[in-house]
Formats: sequence, structure tokens, C-alpha cells
Amino acid sequence: MSRSQQAMIAEGLARQGRAAEAVAACYEALAIDDRDPATHALLAELMLGEDFYDEAIAAATQAIELDPDCSPAYLALGLAYDRRGGMWDQSVLVWHELAEVVPDLVIAHVQLGEAFAAAAFDEEARDSWKRALELDPRQARAHYNLAIDALKREGMSTALPLIRTAGALDPSQDALFFALVGLPEREPQGDVGPDAPREVRYAEAAAMARAEDFFGAVDAVRSLLDDDPDDARALALAGFCYLKQEATNEAMACAVRALGLAPDLVEAMYVLGTTYAQRPGLAKHAARVFLALAKARPLEPLAHVLLAEALLGLQRYRQAHKAYAAAVALDPACVRARFGLAAVLFSEGSYAEAQWHIRRAAYYDTKRLGVFWDLFDRYVEGGGE
Amino acid sequence: MPDGEVERLYRAFVEADPATAIRVVEQVRSSGVAQAELFDALYVPALAMLGDAWARRAIDELAFTQAAVVAEQVSSFVMPPLVRPDTGVGVVLGVMHRDHHSVMKNVVAGALKEAGYRVFDLGVDVRASDFLERVEETGARVVVAFAEMLATARAVAGVRDLLDAEGRADVVLLVCGGPFAADASLARSVGANGVVSSAQGALDVLDRVRRDLLQREAS
Repeated sequence: MSRSQQAMIAEGLARQGRAAEAVAACYEALAIDDRDPATHALLAELMLGEDFYDEAIAAATQAIELDPDCSPAYLALGLAYDRRGGMWDQSVLVWHELAEVVPDLVIAHVQLGEAFAAAAFDEEARDSWKRALELDPRQARAHYNLAIDALKREGMSTALPLIRTAGALDPSQDALFFALVGLPEREPQGDVGPDAPREVRYAEAAAMARAEDFFGAVDAVRSLLDDDPDDARALALAGFCYLKQEATNEAMACAVRALGLAPDLVEAMYVLGTTYAQRPGLAKHAARVFLALAKARPLEPLAHVLLAEALLGLQRYRQAHKAYAAAVALDPACVRARFGLAAVLFSEGSYAEAQWHIRRAAYYDTKRLGVFWDLFDRYVEGGGE
Repeated sequence: MPDGEVERLYRAFVEADPATAIRVVEQVRSSGVAQAELFDALYVPALAMLGDAWARRAIDELAFTQAAVVAEQVSSFVMPPLVRPDTGVGVVLGVMHRDHHSVMKNVVAGALKEAGYRVFDLGVDVRASDFLERVEETGARVVVAFAEMLATARAVAGVRDLLDAEGRADVVLLVCGGPFAADASLARSVGANGVVSSAQGALDVLDRVRRDLLQREAS
């Protein structure tokens, strides 16, 4: 696809997050060539980012009129309809179209399901989310949506395990553990010998765990424990590695031992609380541990989310509402908190507010996944095919 | 709890001996430790010993894994009771005739079931006579009528009239739905004893009702 230099400048500015300058550049590019669907799509995305929904709709519609296969325009248009609200019939059509244009685009099916659900086509919504899970069984948002659907049909006790399943697939949960560990994100170095200082060896073990090399991480932890079997941090890290390998009892054994040595060790609290949360009879235990974690780390949104989920298991919906609200206040883009809050709001009969949180979660999640740029690059590289 | 039982359980884990592990649990339980306490008093300390033994290389990786498997086998014997005790209170609930808004009814029914109430869910589009019929069949003491439209909310008066006419004025009639939230006087005008506005609210109100019923029976 031959695009003007001005269009490329607009794209570059948008990628740098310089929205106002990018919008100006888009208009300049359109003054040169107003038949470039990619630029119209980019303008729609920029307008959406600034909450100018009508302008976003106009630009995306223009892009689609110029090229009915302009996939990034469908994405921007669908999101604009969803966020503007009250346009579910159009939204369903757009997401359906995007799923046709890019059939392997998982998020299109998730969004289509959300549009169906908002329009009260519950069965069609379920089918869309199930289709998304066929394409990617680890699609957390499809699981969250199915959890909300289960809540509406059968109540919280059916929904909660599904919320937890979705949560376990959500990358934010592992991110919490590493935030608690307090080490910067880095790749394993691979050349850390047993003579290296303990902190360096611990950091290497944590890096391996972050890279999901759990066997390597446990070996590294093992060597730390050989030097000092009372190293609570090493035990907690071992617990995390076992947890990730679904070895719940090993994880619990390491975590309770770690907390016996260091009762305030937050990463051990996380591991223990998570093992408790996996067992239906231990909701009270999980709530106790996550309450301690949320108190110790009040600025970690996911600590409040984990507490809220444990409280839901205890039928303490009012307290769960507070904990979820605290998480959303700390991180408005926390998809898990938004869906959890939506679940509680459904239990309070506040359907409109619940749907609003689901729409916000959808927007942030799609943005986080970088779907627009992925589609944009594919579209531009494919010459608009 | 008798001395040394935690260590015995730990040893049973390490020796991969589930039969002994279960025997230890049973003995501790028969010594007077409540089911709700077994997990914290026995199981968790034994797991802590296991973690310590692994950290000190007193057991190797294989033994650790095998011990964890035995711990898993025993876990169901030490878990706190999963189901909340039966409250003995029967609750008939349903959405009023010509109303198909089921979400709140489903959420509240799920919450009440989980909390140990005997829930008889009549579904949606339920006539006043169906509420009465099910109350008579089950001996339920509480009815929760759901309505999300003004017309169906007003129709709850028919449920109260039927209950009174059949000599069941003692049945507690609760209402739930948007019209009742919007107009506080509506519930009273249809003869309801209370309004449920959320799952949490349902649990709170039913808890008060349950205590009132118990008190009434005691006196």
C-alpha cells in the first residue's frame, strides 16, 4: 500500500503516544489523500483514545466505506459503539464483521459476545465466548464473561470458580508475585555460579521463575536452601514454582514453613493464600491471608482483588464490593477487578453499572493486548488485502 | 490435642502411608478436636514440618512429592465443613406472572442455597396461586416475590391476599425488584413484610427472619 509521508508521520506520532500531534498529522495526511483507509482508521483510534466517540465512529465508517476489509477500522468502530453505549445492534454487526474479516482474531469473538450480552442475546453471547476459547483456551476475558453469565443464571457459587479460573490465566496474578518479590524484571543470565552472592543467586532464581523455567528456578532455590534452610524468601519462591506446576501441597508446605520463619513475608502470604483459595472449603483461610496481604501492600490492586474473591466465597458481598472498588481505584485498567466488581454489582441489582464496568474492562483489555496495532500492521503490510 | 500427633501425621506423609495418616486424623478428631479445627491444628503444622524437612534435605524431591500426594489423600478428612448447616427455613421464590426478569432471582436463590436455606425456586412467570400451592406443599415460612415492572410489582398484592385468605398470614412475604427500590411505599402497599435489594440484603433479611422464627417457636 503506498501511503503518503504525512500518513507515516501520523502513524509514528501515534505509536509514540503523542495523540494531539498525531491527530493533526492525520488531518494533514487526509488533505493530501483522503482515500487512505489506514489513515482514517488511525484517526478513529486516536479519537477513541480521547473519548471522542462520534468522531471515532465517523472516521472508522469512512475507512470501511473506502475498504470493507479494513480490519483496524472495524476494531475502532466496534469499540467506539461499545463505549458510546446504547448502540448494541450496530456493535453486534461490526464485531461480527470483524470476526468474518479476521476469523482467527480471538478478541473479535470475545467482543462479539459482549455486544450480544449487552443486547440480551445470552445464548449467542455464550456461543461467541466459547468460539473464542476454542481458538485460545487461555483467553481470560472469555472466561470472565462466562463467569458473569453463570452468575446471572445460577448465582455466585457457580460464578466464583470461573472467576478464579480466569484469574489464574490472567497475567496480572504472576505480576503481583514478582511485584511482591521486589526485583526488577530481567531475563535469566544463565551464568550465575554457586559462588555468586546469595542476592545474585536469588535474583537469578526469580528471573528463571518469571521466565517460567520452574525446574531451573527450583534447582537454584535448592542451592540457596542448601546453604541456609531457614531462608524464608527462597522457600516462598519455591512455593510459587510449585504452585505454577499445580503442586498445591508442596506449595503450601513451602509457604507455611516460610511464614513460620518470617510471618510478614508478603510473597509467602501470596503463595499460601492462593493455595487456600484453590480449595472451596478454605475461603475463610484465604480471606484471612489476603486481608493480611492487602494490609501489608495496600497499593497493590491485585491484593485487594484476591481479598475480594475470598470474601465472595464467604458470601460477604458488601465487603467484597469495597475491596474490588479499592482495586479499581488503584488501577482503573485492572480487568479482573472490573469483572469482579461487575459480578458484585449484579448481585446488588445494579445492572447498568455492572455493564459499564464490563465495557471499561473490555476497552482496557483490548488496548492492553495491542490489537489495534497488530491489525493495523497486518493491514498496511498486506497492502490493504 | 494429644501430644505428638502433628509429628505422627508428618511421618505418615513422609513414609507415604495414607492409612496411618487417616488414622491419626481420626484419633485427633475423636480426642475432641472439632472438624473445623483439624486443618489448622493438625494438617498445616504437619505441612510446615514437611516444608522444613525438604528445605533441610531431610527428605529428597521424590519423597517430598510422594508425601504431598498422601497429604492430598488426607486433605478431605481435615477440611472444614464445606456446606453451611441447614437453617431449616424453607424459602419459596419466583418472578411474578408476566415477568421474565430472572437475574436477580437466580442470584438471590444461589446465595440463599449456599447459606443453608431450603430454596424452592419456581422460576419466572409465576402466578400468585403457584406461590401459595408451593408454600402448602413444602411448609415454607418465607416467600420472596421478584418483579422488575410496576404492573407485576403491584400484582404481588395478590400473593398476600391469597396467603391471608388461606390462613397463611404467618408466612413472611419479601419483595425484590426495581419498582420496590424506587418507591419505598410500594412494598407496604402490596402487603410485603420487607424488601430485598441485593444478595447481601437477602442474606441479612433472611437471617433476621430466621432468628425471629426461632424466637417465636421458643416462646
